[in-house]
Amino acid sequence: MDIVTIHNLKKNFGKGFRLVKALDGIDLSIEKGKFTVIIGASGSGKTTLMNMIGGLYEPTEGTVIVDGINLAELTEEQLTVFRRRKVGFVFQDYNLVPELTIKENILFPLSLDDSRPDEVFFSEIVDLLGLNEKLDAYPYMLSGGGQQCTAIARALITKPAIILADEPTGSFDVKTSQNVAGLLKMTTETFHQTLIMITHNLELAQLADCVVRLQDGRIVE
Amino acid sequence: MKEMLRTLARRSFATSRVRNLIAVLAIALTAVLFTSVTTIGLGFMESLTLTMQIQKGSSSDGDFRNMTAEQFEALQQADFVDQAGLRMPVGFLSNTNRHNIEFDVVDQTQADLTFCSPSHGEMPEAANEIVTSDRALIDLGAELKIGAEVTIEFTAHGQEYSLPMVVSGWYEATNEQTSMMIAGTAFLDEYPAIFEYTYDKDAEIAGTYWSDFTATSTVGLQEKMQDFSRDVGGNPEDVAASNYLPAVINTMTNPTADPSLIFMAVVFIVLFIFCGYLLIYNVFDIAVMQEIRRYGLYRTIGMSKRQVKKLINRQALWLSCIGIPIGLIIGFFIGKAALPKVMTFLAVSYTNIVSEVSPSPLIFLGATVLSALTVFLSTRKPVRVAANISPIEAFRYVESNTGKRTSKKSSLGASIPRLAWSNLGRNGRRTFFIMVSLMLCIVLLNCIGTAANSMDIEKEVALMIRSDFAVVNADSTNGQKGFSLREQALSQQTVEDIAAQPGVIDGSLVYKNTLEDTNVTFDWGAEFIEIEQSPNSGLMEGMTANYLFYNLGDDGNPICNVYGMEETAIARMVIEDGETDAHTLYEKMQNGEGVLLGVQVDYQTMQIDKSSDFDFLNVGDVITVYKNGEPVMELPILAKAARNGDDAEIGITANGPLTVGGDGLFLYLPTSIYKELYDEPVAYKYAFNVEESQRESMTAFLNDYMKNVDTSINYLSADSARENAEGTRTMIKFVGGLVGIIFGIAGVLNLINMVITTILTRRHEFATMQSIGMTNRQLTKMMIFEGTYYAAGACLFGLVLATILNLTLVKSIVGSIWYFTFRFTLLPALIVSVVLLVVGAIVPVLALKFFNKGSIVEQLRIAE
Repeated sequence: MDIVTIHNLKKNFGKGFRLVKALDGIDLSIEKGKFTVIIGASGSGKTTLMNMIGGLYEPTEGTVIVDGINLAELTEEQLTVFRRRKVGFVFQDYNLVPELTIKENILFPLSLDDSRPDEVFFSEIVDLLGLNEKLDAYPYMLSGGGQQCTAIARALITKPAIILADEPTGSFDVKTSQNVAGLLKMTTETFHQTLIMITHNLELAQLADCVVRLQDGRIVE
Repeated sequence: MKEMLRTLARRSFATSRVRNLIAVLAIALTAVLFTSVTTIGLGFMESLTLTMQIQKGSSSDGDFRNMTAEQFEALQQADFVDQAGLRMPVGFLSNTNRHNIEFDVVDQTQADLTFCSPSHGEMPEAANEIVTSDRALIDLGAELKIGAEVTIEFTAHGQEYSLPMVVSGWYEATNEQTSMMIAGTAFLDEYPAIFEYTYDKDAEIAGTYWSDFTATSTVGLQEKMQDFSRDVGGNPEDVAASNYLPAVINTMTNPTADPSLIFMAVVFIVLFIFCGYLLIYNVFDIAVMQEIRRYGLYRTIGMSKRQVKKLINRQALWLSCIGIPIGLIIGFFIGKAALPKVMTFLAVSYTNIVSEVSPSPLIFLGATVLSALTVFLSTRKPVRVAANISPIEAFRYVESNTGKRTSKKSSLGASIPRLAWSNLGRNGRRTFFIMVSLMLCIVLLNCIGTAANSMDIEKEVALMIRSDFAVVNADSTNGQKGFSLREQALSQQTVEDIAAQPGVIDGSLVYKNTLEDTNVTFDWGAEFIEIEQSPNSGLMEGMTANYLFYNLGDDGNPICNVYGMEETAIARMVIEDGETDAHTLYEKMQNGEGVLLGVQVDYQTMQIDKSSDFDFLNVGDVITVYKNGEPVMELPILAKAARNGDDAEIGITANGPLTVGGDGLFLYLPTSIYKELYDEPVAYKYAFNVEESQRESMTAFLNDYMKNVDTSINYLSADSARENAEGTRTMIKFVGGLVGIIFGIAGVLNLINMVITTILTRRHEFATMQSIGMTNRQLTKMMIFEGTYYAAGACLFGLVLATILNLTLVKSIVGSIWYFTFRFTLLPALIVSVVLLVVGAIVPVLALKFFNKGSIVEQLRIAE
């Protein structure tokens, strides 16, 4: 069963001679529970594609359907709720809220939705990501790897339909990169969630169930 | 969610210390503006109301007069009356000197409402007991103590009374010229003849019931009062009616709204909201832009726009909760301190100014609402920006040039000043706001400086008095009297005593005709369309086709206002048309060749008011002088003088001339000719200068002399007139300066905020520049240039705008007030400019020192 279905997706930026075709007719289906990696050179349209799946950009043309929802039909407010409930984001620079503790950071998306946390699920996640002892700490007190684990936990906590990770290991050394990527894959497998990750690291790409290569806004592989 | 949002808001609030400090300062400053102005405004209104009530002599809602006992009883029972005082007027005492004393029987309510309850002693109870003011007792020659004996003389129902009374209490006089003397109802029982009601027959007020009252509600009060007057058989409108029962609302207590005051208030409120807006908007705009990535993150992970708005609004609310109370307290005390200065402005128009302000909830409520409104308006745009920012845009956000320029050719490379120049206006709107707030400070202070500089103190003094001192009979300074009778003349002895004092120079006695001098008249061809007896002077009064009224002498010609004076006094006058050399003029007049005509001055130009109805004779026109019905002189008009208050009577009062000559000509003659014309010439004024070193001792001498030797005199001095005028100038400087300085602080705060933010947001850029070779010194220099460019820009535009406004708006406003003479100045703007340039240069140095610490690598990491 496909969790993401993209048809003839186009995204242009600018006008006239400044027109940039960031995505130029993408057709893509991603199966539920699979780990998909998007690779490509800088400017190939990776991040644009991911942002469109996350409902952060409106397509110039084409459709994006996530978990049966056609994003083009959603209002801005509905898109906000969609992101909150259906998408978990993991960024390269973690983007944790410095004023909140690790626990509060993880639970933050739930609290935005006025939802109560599933205590068992929460414990499983923090156990898996090794954050048990650090729940009351603040982000600055953790290593980069620790902070990214927190970001992964935050992405998982709402049990989203998909997790979008934009170069989550981009700022780590090789060993840490493998650890973090491994944790990300393991947790999504454990919780049967779909992971879409952008990376430049071909070694990490090998961990994926599916690899999509982009070039000049088109899928070439 | 609510708990988490609160936690997030609380913690991010706690970490943004610099932002909080500046925001609290900005909000507090706005609240200071509103509170101080509301305090001054309400205090001014409160004080003015009280001052006016004291002047009027009543704090009631209204009063009824000329009532019978039955009508008064009905009034006490009327629905609209809360408290009604009893007042039975007797009349003015005739044995007073320079103070007018009205003698009435009143009860406690009336005494309280009319400011004559004793502050020392008790209300009168026995028939021979009275309460009056300290000033009245002094004037009557009585001791200022309970139990002192005092004789009062008055006339009622044509009968003269001289009664020995005892002081049961006294109060501090609230009016320089008139006081109430009150007796209790026992006096009424003792002298029933005085209080016989005959008003319907002879309009005698002794015997009538008057009442000042407070109303249960002031809505539609005037109509209710008139209805009552009619219901009890009175006539509220016709003064001549035998049942005339005036029902007068107290407009001091219940003033009608003045549109110009409301307009001024609205202008000030809008100006202050704008000032607060400039400041608070910038603080929040900068704060939001600094944290835009964070808001982008929030939006990405699912925070709704409403939640983002709530987050910022909550912080704005907390900042307001800290800033507004601080501003309220500081503002209240500033306003309270400023109020007496503001009230001195009124001293020109009103005497006995009472300065009163209480910490009314209205002040704090009004200022809080206006401050909160300003915060609300100021944060709308930043809040909207934060809530609407696209998450992607937020992540990419860097402070960049928002202009349209996309490329630039340069052959000179990047010098530090050029680099600083190109950094300006990265955010056009913010730069504009900072420039505007700095400019406002320059422009406002300069406008106020120009107004204060244009206040022509000597012009104001010149209209009041032409010599250093002028000694007159006290009646000349009495608003109800004036010099009109020979008995009010200065005694020869008094003049000799004063003239004998050290330092007296240029002395001149000024003689003036009185109501008794009806045998000397003047004819210039005036024609009267109506002649009847004047109610003021008792003389026959002729009215011309132009509605000018002249008191007429025995032969039916006008008696005019005629003065006799020495050459020194003539020389002090402003002679315009005809023979303008005072010495030649005086000689010619002494030879009987003519007369000097005084014409009303135009306050703006200080020259003859050519548009006046009184300026209808020309130089060369001949005036025939009659004595005992016979023509005795033909006096051509040799010259015309612009007549000020001093040339009429004293200061700006002219009651005497109005009583004697009516609208008649003002004619000035040499002493010798005057004495030749008038059978019993009397001097009403001694005008003289005093050497500067002796002025203080002359003041002391005159104060002592009029207290202990000749109690009938009073005096005016140029120094006291100057002091009054200075008070007005001080008030303009103080209040205007206060507003200007608050705007200045707002501008400087904006500048500081912007410089600090620039440094915080550009640490990475600075570190990058330093990593490729820019030294700390060069960095500091660049930032000094940036700060100075902002200040210089604001100064430049501010100076241009100040010049334009000075020559247009300020000139026209100042030109419309008679005691101002427009004098252009840019000095205040230049001083403020220097201060702003210094601040613009210093702030970046300090900000770099405090906010750009650590090595280049550390800064690069921090910035990341």
